[in-house]
Amino acid sequence: MEFVVEEGKLVNEDCSTLVLPALSIGNVGQLAVDLLVSSTGAERVGYLDDPNLLPCVGNDAYGPLPCGEIALPLEVYESSSIATTLAQQRSPVAKGMMIKFAENIANFAASSGKKHIIVLSSLDFQRLHNLDMSRGPQVYYLSNAESDGRDDHCERLGFGRLHEYDSEGRCWKYLSSVFEKNSVEELALPSEDELEDIDYYPSLPFAALFSAFKARGLKMTCLLCYCSEGDNIPEAFLLAEASSKLMGLTPDKFHGEGGKWQIPYSWKSMYGAPPDMSMF
Amino acid sequence: MEDVLTENPPPSRFFQEDLNNFVPPPESIPSPFILFSNPKPELPLRPSLLIIAISSPSLYVSHNLPSKTLLGSLIMPEVPFSGNTIEPSLEDKSCNIYSLSSTDDKNSILLVSVQLPVSPERSNLVSRLLIGQDIIPERVIILDSIQSRNFRGRLSPDETLAAKLETSAEKKATSHLVNLDYFPSGSVIDGLSASLLSRCQLKNIRGTLVISWPEFGPSVIKFIGALLKKIVPSLDVASVNKDLEKNSSRTGLKKDTWLDSDLYT
Repeated sequence: MEFVVEEGKLVNEDCSTLVLPALSIGNVGQLAVDLLVSSTGAERVGYLDDPNLLPCVGNDAYGPLPCGEIALPLEVYESSSIATTLAQQRSPVAKGMMIKFAENIANFAASSGKKHIIVLSSLDFQRLHNLDMSRGPQVYYLSNAESDGRDDHCERLGFGRLHEYDSEGRCWKYLSSVFEKNSVEELALPSEDELEDIDYYPSLPFAALFSAFKARGLKMTCLLCYCSEGDNIPEAFLLAEASSKLMGLTPDKFHGEGGKWQIPYSWKSMYGAPPDMSMF
Repeated sequence: MEDVLTENPPPSRFFQEDLNNFVPPPESIPSPFILFSNPKPELPLRPSLLIIAISSPSLYVSHNLPSKTLLGSLIMPEVPFSGNTIEPSLEDKSCNIYSLSSTDDKNSILLVSVQLPVSPERSNLVSRLLIGQDIIPERVIILDSIQSRNFRGRLSPDETLAAKLETSAEKKATSHLVNLDYFPSGSVIDGLSASLLSRCQLKNIRGTLVISWPEFGPSVIKFIGALLKKIVPSLDVASVNKDLEKNSSRTGLKKDTWLDSDLYT
């Protein structure tokens, strides 16, 4: 993975927090990062070029007008006012290459001096066994602060620990062994037939990213929410707000009009063209 | 009409296996490479303009341009040669590299006709070969079709449309190769043309991707011919407009050709 600085831009080495999405149901992590980039006025400083990422290009996703600024598959933005780097991923990872991709991006984060990584991801609502709607939509977390995934700061913020995380579970152990270079234990990749329900969580991209960053010794927090496919804008707001709280920020500290969340321009056409009314 | 139960999901939706860390990596395939004609030109080639034709209409125009010299071919080991002819043909699965230049300005305008299927997974390797290694262009024009699956607006089958995306280097230049509206925000282009334009952006090369609609037909062929004539005034496009009725049907249409069966040639 190569980091290419955009012509005329400088990287701010004080941006020690990296926020990035994990591919997940409803693209919630990516929508949340869109919202953060748009609302913080973060500026694009470069691109990450990785051979495991499928190609895509588009017009600028954030400006009020489609100004023709090219958008690439994996872009790096910085907001100096909140000392945060945001990476936005617009295309999938090639099938079977997620582990390699996670390793590459963890190497990038470590070599560029990042201290805290926040990964935003969604989980399939159909996998949620204990539904408790009394507290409203719930944000869950997974941290490497303690071996069971617990983190005091996240607990104080009211996030729910992901109880399905089991560091001794075979798939979680497999991920750890893959990324830790000094791992003595050689574990086999679980075959598709052997996978059970509990293996759903470590099979997801956020788990690969979590394990890869953890192996590099970086402080790591995954923020998660359950959702179904559909209009996932509410979930994007949920995760964007949660990550802001985790960083000790509120929208009034963002750059922007009145300190409010700014909807990215590209969201206007997220669900395609309006129906053809001429048929009625 | 496509079957709503079995058709591909909209591009923002994932199949389970797309999100599975434990899907094994694909089997390794030998890398693509470029084979140059004899005598081998001096490398790297440094054309002032590299034109890369990917869409069916642009391939038709490229094929019918006279006075082009075959310099070489990009070979993809996974694409069989069976069914290809000795003389270049529109039906070949090939990726030929031509010079369009006059003898006194050798190799300053190169044309690549991408007639073989390049999967998204292999696009990165192909785009690195065409831009930045043996070929280092000053400017690049890529010609592809709007992909209806990725377009967030309405596309009428009988309306010719075109738009562009360009690199930052091209955007801030004082004169532009192509005068078209920008591709609308919210829609994306994927595949080889996206990989090629990305490579131009990463290498700070002046690059433009022209995406046109419909995917075939006389109107869009005429548009592409006229566009190329405007970019390269010395190009002879007169023979392009002959026999255009042959292209009013779906014959010769490139569509998801990496799914083609190798049983039939």
